[in-house]
Amino acid sequence: MHERAPSLNVWLVMLILAFDAALQATQVAVWRNGEVLARAEERLSRGQAERLMPMITDAMAAAAVDFKSLDRIAVTCGPGSFTGVRIGLAAARGLALATGRPAIGISTTEVLAASVADDERRGVDGMLAVIDSQRGDLFAQLFDAAGAALGPVVNVSPDALRALVGERSILTVGDGCEMAARGLTSAMRSRASAICDVSVLAGLAAKRGVDPAGPLPIYVRPPDVTMGPGSRALRS
Amino acid sequence: MRVLGIETSCDETAAAVVDGDGRVLSHAVLSQIADHRPFGGIVPEVAARSHLHHLDSLIRRALDGASTGVAGLSAIAATAGPGLIGGVLVGVMTAKAMAAAAKLPFIAVNHLEGHALTARFTDGVAFPYLLLLVSGGHCQILAVEGVRRYRRYGTTLDDAAGEAFDKVAKLLGLGFPGGPAIERAAKAGQDRFKFTRPMKGKPGCDFSFSGLKTAVRQAAEALPPGPLADRDVADLAASFQAALVDSLVDRVGRAAEKFTADYPAGRALVVAGGVAANQALRTALSGVAAGAGLTFAAPPPALCTDNAVMIAWAGLERLRLGLTDPLDFKARPRWPLDPTAAPAIGAGVKA
Repeated sequence: MHERAPSLNVWLVMLILAFDAALQATQVAVWRNGEVLARAEERLSRGQAERLMPMITDAMAAAAVDFKSLDRIAVTCGPGSFTGVRIGLAAARGLALATGRPAIGISTTEVLAASVADDERRGVDGMLAVIDSQRGDLFAQLFDAAGAALGPVVNVSPDALRALVGERSILTVGDGCEMAARGLTSAMRSRASAICDVSVLAGLAAKRGVDPAGPLPIYVRPPDVTMGPGSRALRS
Repeated sequence: MRVLGIETSCDETAAAVVDGDGRVLSHAVLSQIADHRPFGGIVPEVAARSHLHHLDSLIRRALDGASTGVAGLSAIAATAGPGLIGGVLVGVMTAKAMAAAAKLPFIAVNHLEGHALTARFTDGVAFPYLLLLVSGGHCQILAVEGVRRYRRYGTTLDDAAGEAFDKVAKLLGLGFPGGPAIERAAKAGQDRFKFTRPMKGKPGCDFSFSGLKTAVRQAAEALPPGPLADRDVADLAASFQAALVDSLVDRVGRAAEKFTADYPAGRALVVAGGVAANQALRTALSGVAAGAGLTFAAPPPALCTDNAVMIAWAGLERLRLGLTDPLDFKARPRWPLDPTAAPAIGAGVKA
C-alpha cells in the first residue's frame, strides 16, 4: 500500500479499480494517479450481475494490474437502481474482503456534479445532479460551483425542483435532465455525460477518507412492501 | 480442501466454511425474522438490503472462525437460485468478486441441491436415495441419483408445506414464522377436527395443501364468535399438523414403493428443508422408511432450515467433480432440480 507523503498533501501513487452499475450503464476503469490504464463501458439496464465481474477481470488484465497491487476499490453507491446499487456494492465489498484493500463509496450525484467541466461552472451558482428514479420522479442533489454538496440527496417530483434550487443559476447534469426541465424551465444542461464517469469516480475516491463501515448504499426511498413469489409470503 | 459457502436466497444471511472431510469449520448465520415480522411475511426489498448490510462481516466471521484467510480456501460457493433474486444477487456478486480477486473457482449452487445433499455429510448417505424436500418455498419428492441428477416423483400443486404452516399460523394468530409456532401450539392440542388428509389414497405422489388451509379457516369460523380459546387454537394447530403429516406420509409411502422398484440399490429416505425440523414429521417419516425397508436420515434441525453449511458442502461436492462456474453465471429465480419434470400450474416456482 502506498502511503501519503508526510509533509505533502498529495498521494505518491494511487492505483484504483473503479466501477459503476447503479445507472443506465455498467462501467469499469483501472486508474493510476489520474491516468486511465483500461476502461470498459456497456450500456445495460439489466444483466449487470453477469457482465460486471468479467468486465473487471478483462480491464485488470488489459491494464496488466493484479488485484493484489490495487490501493483502493471505488464504487458508486447510489442513488440509482436498487439492484444496480447492490450489484456494485456487493462486488466492491467482496473485492475489499479478498484483497484487504479499502472500498470507497461515492454517490452517483457527486460523480455527476464533479464531471461538469470548469468552464461550464464559471458563471453559475452550482450544479443540480438529477437521476431518473424510474418511478416518474427524480433523485436530486444540489452542489455549489466548487462541487460541494449543499444538502442531501432527495427524491422529488420535477415540480419540486424550483423550491430546491431557489434563485440560484444552476446547470443540471444526469439522466434526469429532461424530466427536470419540466420543473426548471430556465436551467441549462451541462455537456457532461449523463452516466457516471468512472475516471472521475476514481479521482474522488483517491482523495476520500476510508470509512471502516465500508461503502454504504444510498437508496433514498424506503423499501416497497411487496411479497415475493416462492417466499414465505402470506396472502390473505 | 476448504470451501466457503454463502447463502442469501431468503431471510437468512449466512456464511460457512466446510473442509474436504465434511467437517464444519465455521458457520455464521443471521436471521432477518425480526426485520420481516411486522409485515407477516418476507419482503424481498427488505431482505436484499439486509443481506448487503451484513454479508461481508458474516463472511469475515466465518473465515476467522475457520482460522483461515481467503487464500486458504479452495473455492467460493454461493446460492445462485432459486429464491428472492435481490438477495441472491448480493451473495452471487460477493462470491464472484472474492473468487476473481483471490483467483479461486466460483461455484453457483442451487439452493435446493444444498438441501438435497445435506444428508450426505451429516449421515453419510450414498446415492441413490429418496428425498422429501419440504420448505416454505418448495414441496417435492425426488429420487436423488447423484450431484445434479434428480428425478421428480411428486410436487405440490398449490402451496408449499411451509407456506401452509405460515398461513395457518397467521389465521390462528400464532405469528411468523409459522412452522415452529404451530408445532409448539400443537403439543398442547388434540386432533379434534379430523380434517380430510389431502391427496391421501390418490394415485401418484403430488401434494396439495390449499384445501387443508381452507378447512382450518372454516373450522375456526364455525367456532363461537370472539377470540379463539387457547384450547381451540391448540386443537386447530394439532389437527392441521396431523392432517398435513398424514398427507406427507401417504405421498412419501407411495414414492418409496416407486423408488425401491426403480432403484433396487437405493437404501435411504432423506427429509430436508425447513419443515424437516418438525418433530412430528420426522417421527412419522422414520415409520415410513422402516415400512419400506429404507434407513431414515434427517439432518439436525439447524441444517434443515436455510444455512450456508449446505451451500459450502454442495460446493465441495461439485468442486470434486470439476463443476465450477464462470463469472458471467446468471442467477436463477426459478431453478428446478429436475428440469425435465412438468410444471405444476398452481405451484409456479415451488414445483
